[in-house]
Amino acid sequence: MSALAVSDLKRSFGGIKAVAGVSFDVGVKEIVGIIGPNGSGKSTLFNLLSGTIPPSSGTIRLLDKDVTHQPAYRIARQGLGRTFQIPTPFINMTVRENLLAAAVEGEWRSARSRAEEVLAALEISHIADDLASTLSGGQQRLLEFGRVQMRDPQIILLDEVTAGVNPRLRQIILGRVRDLQERGKTFLVIEHDMELVRTICERIIVMDAGEIVFEGTFEEVARNERVVDAYLGRPET
Amino acid sequence: MRARGANSARLTARSVIPLVVVVVFLATLPLWVDDYWVRVWTGVAMWAGLAASWNIIGGYAGYISFGHVAFFGIGAYATAILMQPGLDWNFFLTLPVGAVVAGVFAFIVGWPTLRLRGAYFAIATWALAEALAQLVNTVDFTGGSFGLSTPGNAETGFFYYAMLIASALIYLIIFAVFERSRFGYKVKAVRDNEAAAQSLGINTTSVKLQAFVMSAALPAVLGGINAYWITFINPQSVLAGDITDQMVVMALVGGLGHLWGPAIGATVLYLSSTWLSANFGSSTGYIAMIGALLALIVLFLPDGLVGLMPRARNMRLVRQMLRLPDRRADPGPDSDTSRERS
Repeated sequence: MSALAVSDLKRSFGGIKAVAGVSFDVGVKEIVGIIGPNGSGKSTLFNLLSGTIPPSSGTIRLLDKDVTHQPAYRIARQGLGRTFQIPTPFINMTVRENLLAAAVEGEWRSARSRAEEVLAALEISHIADDLASTLSGGQQRLLEFGRVQMRDPQIILLDEVTAGVNPRLRQIILGRVRDLQERGKTFLVIEHDMELVRTICERIIVMDAGEIVFEGTFEEVARNERVVDAYLGRPET
Repeated sequence: MRARGANSARLTARSVIPLVVVVVFLATLPLWVDDYWVRVWTGVAMWAGLAASWNIIGGYAGYISFGHVAFFGIGAYATAILMQPGLDWNFFLTLPVGAVVAGVFAFIVGWPTLRLRGAYFAIATWALAEALAQLVNTVDFTGGSFGLSTPGNAETGFFYYAMLIASALIYLIIFAVFERSRFGYKVKAVRDNEAAAQSLGINTTSVKLQAFVMSAALPAVLGGINAYWITFINPQSVLAGDITDQMVVMALVGGLGHLWGPAIGATVLYLSSTWLSANFGSSTGYIAMIGALLALIVLFLPDGLVGLMPRARNMRLVRQMLRLPDRRADPGPDSDTSRERS
């Protein structure tokens, strides 16, 4: 069984084909990276998978269930969690309250103790009572990742979760991703940080102009002519 | 664990002690003030309850309703109509009927209007309340523009004081529980970022509708008590747009989205306007004084009077609301959460 199976997924905005017929599978406990130049459709793909925007056509199967065209909250309840490229903290709540808000559709009685665990695991207990609006960009990303953990989804979509994050916070996030993978979670990760992609992703999907142009390991991606042309670029001769 | 337990105890004490102080103050007030001040504080209690009810949809959910007078009016008319000779309902039984009718009305109008945002929602709710006032003006069973009298009653001023104070305190307790409840977190999450709330499994449409219904049912009870108190109602007295304006201003002045904000705002504004009109009411100049007071609060305390309280939360609700359209979910490519570089 695939954790996530996407078939011929398309989405257009007016005349722009943001996602133009994408198909791929992600296995359980796999960490798959999605890379591509700006405007290649990576984040639109995440929005389609999470139900934030509906696809024009194609199918999405989550843990063997068809979730195409379902609203975002139903897809979330079926086991998909995500972070956003621009962090979305609940700015009028404290860090702890943000975590509690993430548990409202799950097991509520244990929410407070789980929130303390997540705070400790992400090393943000010292800012638990701070308003989310006062956090740095990196801390907001960490908090959003913490909220996803409070949901305890089976499949986690991380959209540039380490962008603008200092090396210390980056290590915390990477360590947590590995922990969660060992506990059976599946990851789909958008990243521009190639070192991070090389370190944690078992497989990489390369997108360009809304299409998948290559799929393989980091070494295979690095050697592929089309990827080098589309994304990595060539030195001028 | 011990530290957390101690923190929790301190938190509970911080919430409970002000409530106990307020209860003792209000319970003993009729013993040491004259009837005039009992009547003034009866008004304070009613406005505190109304502003706090409005705070559910305006402060906690972030939807500025300018039609909340409709729910107050529905409660008032439910009580007045059911107590008319021939029906002769007991006053206390009319209150839940008013709350249910207002809740159903809120559900029906909330379904389409809560899809709107910011100023559009405010205008839609204002228009609906105006339409209701015009409807009440034209139909017979409401007494039309002549209004309705409630049966004469022998209740003393203390009865209304006790009723409205009890309602306001019960509301405060409900809102204190709501703030920390699962539902309260859902409402606040939807307010702060609808797309993020959906990604956490929250059905935002349903949550907004529930908050709107809750926010509508409570003013209806106060409307019913008010109708019984003033013994005569018409559209000008219980469906006038300035009633909503006062709810909004009191909540804003006290502190939007705070438990104590609307009660503080209602107390300060009602008492100050009563004092100013009593001392400077020979001309309309006192209205300018109230305006100046409001301007000062808005300028120096944008988060409301609760900003003066120690450890008050410095929220960004007013700033958030002024920046329209806000950070709510928009499934288009230009929404905050989907304005992607990739």
